[in-house]
Amino acid sequence: MNLSFVTIVSGLPRSGTSMMMQMIEAGGIPVLTDHQRTRDEDNPKGYYEFEPVKKTRDDPSWVPTARGKVVKVIYSLLYDLPLEYEYRVIFMERNIYEVLASQKRMLQRSGKTGANLSDDKLAELFKGQLNKFNHWIHNHRSFAMLPVNYSDIVTAPQLLAEKINTFLGGGLDIQAMVRAVDPALYRNKL
Amino acid sequence: MTKVKIDNKLYERAKKAAEAAGYSSFEEFVSSVIEKELALLEASPDDDKAVSEQLRGLGYIE
Repeated sequence: MNLSFVTIVSGLPRSGTSMMMQMIEAGGIPVLTDHQRTRDEDNPKGYYEFEPVKKTRDDPSWVPTARGKVVKVIYSLLYDLPLEYEYRVIFMERNIYEVLASQKRMLQRSGKTGANLSDDKLAELFKGQLNKFNHWIHNHRSFAMLPVNYSDIVTAPQLLAEKINTFLGGGLDIQAMVRAVDPALYRNKL
Repeated sequence: MTKVKIDNKLYERAKKAAEAAGYSSFEEFVSSVIEKELALLEASPDDDKAVSEQLRGLGYIE
């Protein structure tokens, strides 16, 4: 596959981005990752992260090397991407309280702290940020976006894989994408 | 009062939805939708800071 665009998997942290990365990798698109953040109980199959993504605002030199590959970028870092490239963004959507429950478990396990706010307040803030993000991305022609519901990965993987294949221009191994789905990973379901 | 032009099809859909949801008028429905959207868009710097703390704690930003 010789793709001219950068494939991005995005969303809130703990919205299923790693699972989507596994699917797309199985489909045949190489993953851009440095494996610095190793697998753990929160992400048993690995995080699929690429550290330079966090420093894109200061150094976006990794971006052209990502053409033809898939890279994970959380929603708030998409603003930093240079606009002269083409991006196809698969954006994970998940029940916000499932996301927060998963974030809370991850923070507890790592012994780190996040925002000291109630779930309701944090949910409101994240929804506001996603709203703002949606306005922004729809007004930038460098980006095409496919919203994906997290639960569809488990309940309708074949249909979802077909949609992703079409969005990314075809040529993916749909059956391999379906086989990559691990329903046991659907944790923190409300 | 300010007038706003919207697509006819969107207007028809919104009008039906407003009636079904029990709004007393289409104007009330539109005002309510705008208020909700503004509340989300007008988040304060403190709110943005709180979200950054959460993302940093999770290891997704520096």
